[in-house]
Amino acid sequence: MTWLKLVEGYMPMQMITELAICILVFSIINYSLKRAGMGLPKFWAGIFVWCFVNLFYLKYRIYPPIPFSVRAIYGTVAACGIFMWVSGSQQEWEEFKRPIINVLDAKTGMTKFIRTALLILLPIGLWGFAYNSFLPSFDEPIELRTVHPAPPATTKVHGKTYVLQTAANPYRVNPEGKYDQAYSNAHIVSQDMGRLMKDVKNPEDNPWDPNAKGYIKHVREGGEIFFQNCHFCHGDNLNGRGLWAFAFNPIPANFTDAGTIAQLQETFVFWRVAKGGIGLPGEGFPWASVMPPWEQHLTVDEIWKVIMFEYWHTGYYPRTWE
Amino acid sequence: MGRLFNQMTRGKKKLFAVSALMVMGCLLLLPIFLSITAVAAGGGAPAGGPPADVVAAQKAEGEEGEAEKVEMGRDVYYKTEGPAIGMPAPVTEDNETFYPRYNFESRVLLWVANQQHLYYGSFVLAVPIFCMCIEFAGMVSKDKAMAKKYDQLAYDFIKISLTAYSLTAILGGILIFTFLTLYPAFFGYLSSIFRPVMHIYALTFVAESATLYIYYYGWDKMREGVLKWVHLSMSVILNVIGTVLMFLANSWIAFMMSPAGVDEQGRYLGNIWHVLHTALWNPLNVHRILGNMAFGGGVVAAYAAYRFLSSKTDEERAHYDWMGYIAMSLGVAFLIPLPFAGYWLMREVYAYRQQMGITLMGGLLAWLFIIQATMIGILFLTTNYYLWQALGRMTGGERFQKYIKYLVFILVVGLLVFITPHTIVMTPAELKAMGGQQHPVLGNYGVMSAKNGGINAIIMTTVLSFIWYQRGNRVPTVSWAKFGNIFMGCFFLIGQLNNIWLACYGYFIPANVRIGLSVPQVAGTLSCLLLMTPLNLAMLKNGRQLGPIRWGQIPPRSQYAIIMLATAFTWMMGLMGYIRSSVRLFWHVNEVMRDNSPWAYTHTIGFAANVISFNVLFFWISIMFVFWLGTLGAKKVPVPSPAGQPVPSPQSATGH
Repeated sequence: MTWLKLVEGYMPMQMITELAICILVFSIINYSLKRAGMGLPKFWAGIFVWCFVNLFYLKYRIYPPIPFSVRAIYGTVAACGIFMWVSGSQQEWEEFKRPIINVLDAKTGMTKFIRTALLILLPIGLWGFAYNSFLPSFDEPIELRTVHPAPPATTKVHGKTYVLQTAANPYRVNPEGKYDQAYSNAHIVSQDMGRLMKDVKNPEDNPWDPNAKGYIKHVREGGEIFFQNCHFCHGDNLNGRGLWAFAFNPIPANFTDAGTIAQLQETFVFWRVAKGGIGLPGEGFPWASVMPPWEQHLTVDEIWKVIMFEYWHTGYYPRTWE
Repeated sequence: MGRLFNQMTRGKKKLFAVSALMVMGCLLLLPIFLSITAVAAGGGAPAGGPPADVVAAQKAEGEEGEAEKVEMGRDVYYKTEGPAIGMPAPVTEDNETFYPRYNFESRVLLWVANQQHLYYGSFVLAVPIFCMCIEFAGMVSKDKAMAKKYDQLAYDFIKISLTAYSLTAILGGILIFTFLTLYPAFFGYLSSIFRPVMHIYALTFVAESATLYIYYYGWDKMREGVLKWVHLSMSVILNVIGTVLMFLANSWIAFMMSPAGVDEQGRYLGNIWHVLHTALWNPLNVHRILGNMAFGGGVVAAYAAYRFLSSKTDEERAHYDWMGYIAMSLGVAFLIPLPFAGYWLMREVYAYRQQMGITLMGGLLAWLFIIQATMIGILFLTTNYYLWQALGRMTGGERFQKYIKYLVFILVVGLLVFITPHTIVMTPAELKAMGGQQHPVLGNYGVMSAKNGGINAIIMTTVLSFIWYQRGNRVPTVSWAKFGNIFMGCFFLIGQLNNIWLACYGYFIPANVRIGLSVPQVAGTLSCLLLMTPLNLAMLKNGRQLGPIRWGQIPPRSQYAIIMLATAFTWMMGLMGYIRSSVRLFWHVNEVMRDNSPWAYTHTIGFAANVISFNVLFFWISIMFVFWLGTLGAKKVPVPSPAGQPVPSPQSATGH
């Protein structure tokens, strides 16, 4: 269904709204059919809704494809919801059960045929399921990877120990040179600035401005470091789609996603950049990260600056607790 | 004259009884006063070190120039200086001396013993609170028949908990023996730290037992007049003691997670209040009170459901239907604020140690939180389902049943968002097809902002279901009914829109502001609960009744829903206990005493789930035994039913 676009930035709400509209339309159609004396029996209505949501909408409408584990969760919850709906009142429950009871009772030729067919097909289906379960698979095994392993309380970089709970980015400063997250938050990139920032007149907002100084100048320096070292993997849009990205499994982190740096304290990112994949703790099993320990290539100042650039460019704010 | 004399004698007897009970109450509360005094004085006997008077003498000597004799230590949490009067935490090794063992994993044995004790402990602490509420409701009820019914119900509740109380004590003993046998070094250290309050705990337990027995066995003797109020006061005392008992027990686990009052070596610094009042103590206390209540309600409701399903007569069915409804309502009343208390606890965990919070919510244990979210969802969905089924036993309830499908949609969508994992399980092929670890659509559901929206939508819908239930067989007749209905509808609509808007807005603001957004979200939900429910009741006052509640005429599905609710509570308690405990990773006492046993690793999710399921099964089998015991002494004495609500009591308190 590529003709109907999922609009970036609104996709989660769009999905829920589309589902709501679909369910509403089905309700209206069924209501109209009922008025005309041709209403869909509850049993088939329930099965239809479940099939629509799980076998059609979630499988073919949402792109990129949703992994099976999540679809299984959604399918189970949807089935529970449908059960609650069809058995909400005794009358509806009786209506829902009727086709099943009819088949079990097998009082007509058709129901007798269905019952016989089910008696044959169900064991075959179960046999097929069991056969498939035992069939050797050549797929790579599933890895339950911990994306954000817990950081240590402190980390030592270039001989200095940093307490991750309390350390702060020394370049996140206001014009007076004091640490000021609110100031930097007010000067991150925004949609209306345009990609080349031609229209941005305020040097406090534009890192390419020759008069830029303080926080925004450090952002530019961070950007230079990023494009010299990081963008090959993390991409020039910081979305994890760099030139080399697809040589790796898993592909590098997508900083534009709301679930990566936007969820983390700046010091967490500092620790990860400094120590790289090899410095992941035991919890980070199976250590599926090829990121080098950047402390071997960058200075502490450079690491802080590049982190600041990442937040600036994605428009996210680092997590804080105050 | 003779009558006057008799009255005076009766009055004196009453006065004597009241005085005696007051003295008894004071004596029972004595341990608590003692504990408060001891805590206020900063400790009593120091842990693992010399007595307080010796320390005081040492201090005095120090003032005279010999201060070097008392080594000072710095509190790991409060950062205050204090005399290091306790022994350091033992540095253990993996051998039989520190970790004696059977040919089995000691940790699992301790886990099972602990969990079973906790289940029963929670139950026996929660039920007296219910009894207090129900007994009070009966006493203030103007309807004599209803008052009698409530009183009988409270009695039924406490009777169930009495057998469970003995089991709690037995399991507590087993737990201590398990600790002493399998983890002697660790238990020795912990008891040395908590020595000033250990005996207070034991005394409080004695006071709890004594009060409970007086409360139970004095039910008939104190059923009229002033004595009834004395009886109710006993339940208040019982609950105060029970709460203190739980707070003390909580302080041990809070100390293990977020130690305070000791220095880096684990030496006690002489301030027992610091040891008790750790970073996570209060959030744990609040969370456990609410959790116990919800759990207790669930277990009693399951008991009623079990009795309903096995009932032979309509009268029995009616009684147990009503009992199940009351117990479930009480449980759910405490379930609603539980997620907010949990949120506060997690916030404090993050504030205490960031890595602990990340291990829980984003790292190693994150998948267990998804299972927890699923269980929470099951609890709320089941509650709604029960209420919808309950509409069926009221004339007029069918008016609302046709709208159930819309509530189902909101609940299902809310739950889907709430349980979407942040770390998705997928094959490498799926990972490549998705183009990275984060899904551009579902990834947004995996973070807190969306999840807050999801759970608040679910809770608000549950409140709406409850309001429908209240209206089931009644129609408001107040002059402002139309305005009230419109206002209520708008209130819910605005509440949901506000919730969804804030959930979306949370993506565009810094994390510290986003965390604050949960306040208006919660406020919206609680407003729906705390304002709309009384408004609804005000509208229904003197309303037109469409028919009586046909107690007992509810589909069996509803009772299975109650049993599922109780099982989900039990499973979730086991799960959360495991999560809370395993977040310490390889520490007995976080960052102070390392766990060097061979079991200092985190279990796989599958193994943990199996042990939790075993615990749940064991608890339910044993509680079935308790239920069965409860039925042995039952005598069936009919109680007149109130008009319009034919709910009999299967047994009377009289004669027990």
